[in-house]
Amino acid sequence: MLQKMKKVQVLGPKKDLQSVVDVLYHTGTVQLEDMSRTFRPGDTLLRRMDIEKGGDIANTLVKIGGIFLALPKIKYDIKKQEQIYDELQQLTHPELLARANHVIDELESTTKELAVKKSDLEFTLGAMDRYEKIIKKIQPLESQLPILEGFEVTVILIQREFREVLDFIKNTLVEITKKQFEMISADMDDTTIAAVIVFNKRYSEGVHSLIFSQNVNEVRLPSEFLGKPFNEILQLISLKRTKSIGEMAAIDEKLANLATEWYQELAVLKKVLEDRNEEAGVFGKFGQTEYTFVILGWIPKKYLQRTKEALKDAFGNRVFLNELEVSPENMDEAPTFYDNPAIIKPFEFLLQVVNAPKYREIDPSPLLAIFFPFFFGLMVGDIAYGIIILVFAQIVKNRYKMELWLQHLMNILIISSIPTIFFGFLFGEFFGDFGEIMGWIHPITIAGITWNRVEAIVPMLILAIAIGVFHIFLGLSLGILNAIAKKSKKHVMEKAGMIIVISGLLLVVGGAAKIVPEIFLQLGVVMMVIAVPLIIYGGGFFGLFEIMSTVGNILSYARIMAIGMASVILALVANKLGGMMEVAVLGFLIAALLHILNIVLAMFSPFLHSFRLHVVEFNSKFFEGGGKMYKPFRREKEDETVK
Amino acid sequence: MVDWGIPIGAGIAFGLGALGTGIAQSKIGSAGAGTIAERPETFGLMVILVAIPETLVILGFVVAAMIMIMLV
Repeated sequence: MLQKMKKVQVLGPKKDLQSVVDVLYHTGTVQLEDMSRTFRPGDTLLRRMDIEKGGDIANTLVKIGGIFLALPKIKYDIKKQEQIYDELQQLTHPELLARANHVIDELESTTKELAVKKSDLEFTLGAMDRYEKIIKKIQPLESQLPILEGFEVTVILIQREFREVLDFIKNTLVEITKKQFEMISADMDDTTIAAVIVFNKRYSEGVHSLIFSQNVNEVRLPSEFLGKPFNEILQLISLKRTKSIGEMAAIDEKLANLATEWYQELAVLKKVLEDRNEEAGVFGKFGQTEYTFVILGWIPKKYLQRTKEALKDAFGNRVFLNELEVSPENMDEAPTFYDNPAIIKPFEFLLQVVNAPKYREIDPSPLLAIFFPFFFGLMVGDIAYGIIILVFAQIVKNRYKMELWLQHLMNILIISSIPTIFFGFLFGEFFGDFGEIMGWIHPITIAGITWNRVEAIVPMLILAIAIGVFHIFLGLSLGILNAIAKKSKKHVMEKAGMIIVISGLLLVVGGAAKIVPEIFLQLGVVMMVIAVPLIIYGGGFFGLFEIMSTVGNILSYARIMAIGMASVILALVANKLGGMMEVAVLGFLIAALLHILNIVLAMFSPFLHSFRLHVVEFNSKFFEGGGKMYKPFRREKEDETVK
Repeated sequence: MVDWGIPIGAGIAFGLGALGTGIAQSKIGSAGAGTIAERPETFGLMVILVAIPETLVILGFVVAAMIMIMLV
C-alpha cells in the first residue's frame, strides 16, 4: 500500500546537532533532503552547514579496525557490549574521540609488535620445515661426501625440466673451483631435484655468484648448521622448531589476554565510530543559522509519531520536529514507499529495476503479482516443467542466501510455478506429450474445445487476444483513476475515449464476422464515432494514432499463445526424436537434453515476455514512473552485536 | 514431394523472422555493451532491452508451425 509521506523539518540548538543526527540515524525513518538547493547566495540568515570532523573519525576508525583484526576473535559478550554502548552514547563527540585514541595508544604498538614477531616466527617455522625436508632427502648421500675442514656445503634446488642447468653448473664449477668440489644430486620430490655441492671455501664467492646468475634456488643453511654432520643438523632443526612453536604460543597467549580485556570495547567502539562516520557524511545536507541547525526530510506518516517521541525522549523541548505543508504539485517530489507484504515484495523489486513509481501513483506491484504468474503459467503450461522449476528455484535460493536480488528472482519463479502446474493439468502436458503417450494424463475438454495446445491453435490465439483486451482495459481504467487523483481532465477523457473506441472496434469486428448479431455492428460504429472527439479533446490529433498503437498493444498479447506453442512443439520434437532412436538409452539422453534446453528456455523466455507485457504494454496505459524510492537515513547492514 | 510449397513457405516464414531478430538484437547488444561498460548498474535493464525483439522470431516460428500443422 502506498504510504503517505510528510515533509518535516527538525530544528534545534547547534550544540545538539551531533546527538540529534545520531538519534535520527538509529530511529532510521527519515529520508534526508539536501537543503543546499534552497539556499541563495547572499542569504544572511540561513546558510549551509559547515562540514568538519570527517577526517579524524575516518582515521581513528581505520586504526581501530586494524587492532581489531590483529586480535583473535572471541565470543561477543552481548551484555557487556550493551553496557559499553550506553556509556559511549552519553559521551560527546570529542570525548568519544579521546576515548578511542586512548584505546589506540594502549594497544596499537603492542599488537603491531606481537603481530610482526608472530609472522617472523611463522616464517622461520616454514624455513625449518623446508630444511628438514631437504636434509632428510640428502641424508643418504652423506656417506658419499667427504667431511673436510675448510670446505663449504650448499644445497641447490632445480626444477626437473631444467635438468641441463645442473650439468652446466657442474662444468662451470670445474673451472671455478679448479676441480676441488664434489656434487651429488637426487630427486627431492615430483618436480624438484636437489643437488649438494661441497667445495673449497676459497672459491665460495665465485660459486655463489655462479649459482645466483643461473637463477637457481639456493637453500642457504643458517650458519650454525654449516660444517656439521647431518644428523646433528636434524636435531638442531627440531630444537629450533620446538623453540619457535613455544614462542608463538607465548605470543598467542599474550594476544588472548589483551583480547579478553579489550575486545568488547573495541567491537563497540568500531560500531559507534562507523555510525558517526556515516553521520558525518551527511552534514553537508543541513542548513544552519548562527545558533541553530535545520534538517529537512521526508518521513512516512506512520513513523512520524515514533520519531517525534524518540527526539522528545532524548532532548525534551530543545529540539522541534515540524510538519511542513506541501502543495500537491510539490508532493510529486516525495519518495515512494510501499509497505508491501512479503509475497508481493519480489515483484516490487522487479519493477524497480526498470522504473520506480512516482509518489501518489497507483502501485502496479500487486497487479504484477497477480497477472505475471498467470501469464507465465499459460506460456509454460507443463506439469513436469513446473515441478522442476520449483525445485530448481528452491535449491538456488538456499545456496545463495547472500544475494538479495537472486532471492527475489527465485521467489518469483517459485510463485509462478504454481499456475504452471495448474495449466499443465488443463493442457494435459507432462514433458510435452509424453504424459499423453504413456496414457497418464489427457488434456481437458471444456465446452467442446479441447485444451490440447497443438490442436487448438486458433482458440488459444483468441484466448490470448481476449486476455490482452481485458488487461489493456484494466490498464486504461487504472489510468483513469490516476488521472482523477491528479485532477487532470484531459487524461480522463482520453483514456475513457480509448476504452470506448476499442470496445466499438471489437463489436464491429464481431458483427462483421457474424459472431454477434448485426445490430451490434451498428452499435459499434456509433461508439467509435462518439469516442473520436473524446480522444481528440484529450490528447490532440495524435491521440488518433494512439488508437492504432493500442490495437497493436492488444495484438502483442498474442505472444502468450506463440511462446506457449514454441515450448510445446519443442517438447514434442524432443519426444519424437527420443522415440526414433533405436537404442533406448541414446533416445532417452537426447530427449532429456532437449527437455532440459526447453526448461532453461522456459525459465527465461516466458519470464521476460510476461514482464515485458506488463512493463511496456500494461504500464504505458497508466504508469508514469521516474520517482525515487524511500531510502531512509540508517544503518545499511544487519549486525549481530549491539542492538 | 508433390506439394513443395508448404515446407518452403514455413522455412521462409521462420528464416526471415530469425534474420530480423538477429539484426535488431545485434545493434541493441552492441549499444548495451557500451552502456554497461560505462555504467555497470544498468546491466539488468540492458538484458531486458536485448531480449525484447525475441517476439519477431517467436511469431515467425508460430506462423511456420501453423503452416506445417494446419496445412500439413
